Formats: sequence, C-alpha cells, structure tokens
Amino acid sequence: MIQYIDMHAVLQESISGVYADLVTRPTGRVVRERIERAIAGRGGGEVTVARMDFTGVGCMDYSCADEIVAKLLRDRPAVLVLSGITDGHREAIEPVLSGHGLAALLERADGTLEGLGAAAAAAALLDELVARRLAARMPGGTYALTLA
Amino acid sequence: MTRLVEVPAHFDDRSFDQFAGAFAEASRDDERLLFDAHAAEWASPYGLVGLLAAGQAARRPGSGAAAERPLLTAPTNPEVLSYWARAGFFREAGELFEIHGKVPRVKAAEESEVLLPVTSVRAAEDVHAVVSKIQQRASAILASELSLDPKATMGFAMALSEACQNIVEHAGTGGWVAVQAYNWRRKLARRVVVIAVADAGVGFRHSLEPTQNKRFGDRWGDAAALEAALVQGVSRFRDPGRGQGLAGIRRYLVRWAGKIAIRSGTARIAIVPPWDDDVPLKDGLPPFPGAQVLIIIPEQGSAER
Repeated sequence: MIQYIDMHAVLQESISGVYADLVTRPTGRVVRERIERAIAGRGGGEVTVARMDFTGVGCMDYSCADEIVAKLLRDRPAVLVLSGITDGHREAIEPVLSGHGLAALLERADGTLEGLGAAAAAAALLDELVARRLAARMPGGTYALTLA
Repeated sequence: MTRLVEVPAHFDDRSFDQFAGAFAEASRDDERLLFDAHAAEWASPYGLVGLLAAGQAARRPGSGAAAERPLLTAPTNPEVLSYWARAGFFREAGELFEIHGKVPRVKAAEESEVLLPVTSVRAAEDVHAVVSKIQQRASAILASELSLDPKATMGFAMALSEACQNIVEHAGTGGWVAVQAYNWRRKLARRVVVIAVADAGVGFRHSLEPTQNKRFGDRWGDAAALEAALVQGVSRFRDPGRGQGLAGIRRYLVRWAGKIAIRSGTARIAIVPPWDDDVPLKDGLPPFPGAQVLIIIPEQGSAER
C-alpha cells in the first residue's frame, strides 16, 4: 500500500495556516512529526512507501528538506515518492539527500519515476517498488507507479 | 558621561570596520553611547542593520550605565533621513535608541528598490513572514531587473531563509534583515540585489566552541569558526544533517556569481566571485558582537554563471 501525504495540508495544520512555505527547522520538525505519526504502524513489517505530494507548497529551504525528507529516510527504511515538485523544491532536496547517500523517487508530471539523490540508493528504491508490484517498467525503460 | 561613536558618512560593509573600531573603543568603560549619524550621506542595508545590532549590544542589561538606551543623532540631510525611514530603519531603531533629530513619519517603503525593509527576526515565525513577503515582492524584480532565471527566485528565498535562520538558531538573541536592489556603480556598474543580516548575539566562535575548539587547537578563534561554518559546513549541532544552510547559500551564489561575506567577532570571511577583489579571510579586526552577513547577487549577463 502506498500512503498519500498532502504536504500543503500537513503544513497548514502544522503552522498558523497563513504561510505556504516549508522553511525553518522548527516547521520542518513539526511537519515531519505529523508525517511520522501518520505512517507509524502502517507498514506491517514492510518498508514504508509514501507518496508525498508537494502541490501548493511554495518555497522549501535546505533546513526543511533535511528535517523532513532526509530525516524520514534516515530514521527508518522507507520509499518516498515525491510528486508536485518544482525546480526550487528539487534544488533544496537533491543536495541534502546526496550528501547523506540517501535517495527518494520523484514522480514526474507524466507519471514516470526518477531517482533523486544517491544513484545506487535510488535504484534500490525502484527495485523495492517493482518487487512489491507498486511500480512497473514502462515501454522505453522508464518506471511508473502501478496504482497511480 | 557619554561616549561618541561616529557613524561613517558612507556606511556600508567597507566602512563597517571603522565603525566597529569606534564602537569597541567607546564601549570599553561601560558609559552610555551616542551614535552620531548626523553627517551620514548614505547607508547600505548592511550599514543599517549593523547600526541596529550596535544599538542592541549597547543596551544590554548588565553593562552598567549603558543599560539605558544609547543615543542616536539622526542624519540631518532630509534625503538621507527620508531614505532611512523608507528603508524601515527608524521603525526598529525607536526601540533601541533614544533618537535625537527629526524623524519623518513615513511608512517603510513599498517601492521597487526596497524589496524588504529592515525587519526584525527573532523566531521561526518571522522567517516565514520574511520568505513569504520576499516572494511576493522579489520575483518580478529578480527576473526583470537582474535577468535572473525565474528558477533563481526560489533559490533566493531559500538563501534568505537560511541566512535569517542563522539568527534564530545561533545568535541567542534577535536580529535584523533587509533586502534591497540598487545600481552598484562602485564595482560592477550594474544592478545588484543585496541581503544584509545582522545580530549582536553570541557570534560564530562562541556558538561553535563546544564542538570545534579542540579540533582546531591553537588556531581556534573567530576566523577559524567562520572558516568551519562557511567552508566546512560545520554546525554546533551534532545532528549530521546540520550545516546545510550556509552550504546551500554557497551553491546558490556560485551559480549566480554572487558573493557572501560574514563578519563575526574580530574576523570576516568571504566567498569572492570573479568580479570582486575582496580578501577571502581577514582576522584581527576591531571586535563587534554577533554576526553580520552580506549577500550580493549581481545582474546577470556579462557575469559567468
């Protein structure tokens, strides 16, 4: 099962609701803790797979990228599929993941998946999804989620 | 008795050391300080937030008679006075200084050159407000006036956020940020956007001392602390994900041929782009509390990306 997380909604619940930006460590911490609560116990012993939709999120800084995406991956085995990502979000997330040898998957607008972060770790994530039949190889050699 | 601290007529990052020297000298005997800006002709955002940091430091409790607010004589030149007001300086200065001179009652600017008036930063909520405001104001200007790729606007907000968080996470006190676009004739003969951030907090050396002092041994000091933070990405936190902020700012500035300079204590470090002739590291400067950050992003075009 892939858990869906609406990042904009989580952000709005986590702070006053006025701002649409994922910035500052404290904000990242609160958002991550909400996500952790949401995904706790859902894995049933399997690696957690979550689809994090960033649609509606404005700016994301490096601190928040580390506090949310990198820490979610550091603290537990998980496959994070990031959708609704802008170039700006990517600019914050990619170096943070690469710096720690971590990876996530980016779901492009056409539904295909792309590794983000350390290449070897990204390949392992795709293998995990394919093995669990949550993703499949598409014509042309790309991958996409099967339940998208 | 009151000690005089002269504010340089052209108050920017280059004349800041002269100001810091006067401030250090006047602060020696804990007397009340008078910051004399009556002859000021021009001040950059760096000068304005630096002056606020000096005011903050001069009124710290426990510093004897200086626990009173320091005095500030406002610029006498009406244009300068008006600009300082529009830049949001007096809105913040009113709490820190006993101001002498006529201060115009104008709102902080919503004009094109002042992208963000002098704004206090004390908590994460303030950083949210700054980032939100800059995105509304800066996008069009960064694209149209600096010819920056629209992608760069988001990076600009990220860099601003990280620079402000430095205050929240490390200073141990509040600070100020200001963002402005202007024609920089001195160096480039083109437009630049400048982010200036200043606080009078504990500074980089004090912040990093518990974790880095032993590693550097005899070399430990303000310069080593700045080098550790900006060049090596070291943070005072043991969390391996820390130190991302300044590293991220550096990546952004390399891409857009920008400059960052950080002054803390008696040292100043800079990542110097090809268009500038600043020195990478200076030590032995007049002491000044906290940290002062300057970020400059030039108009794109002839500058290499």
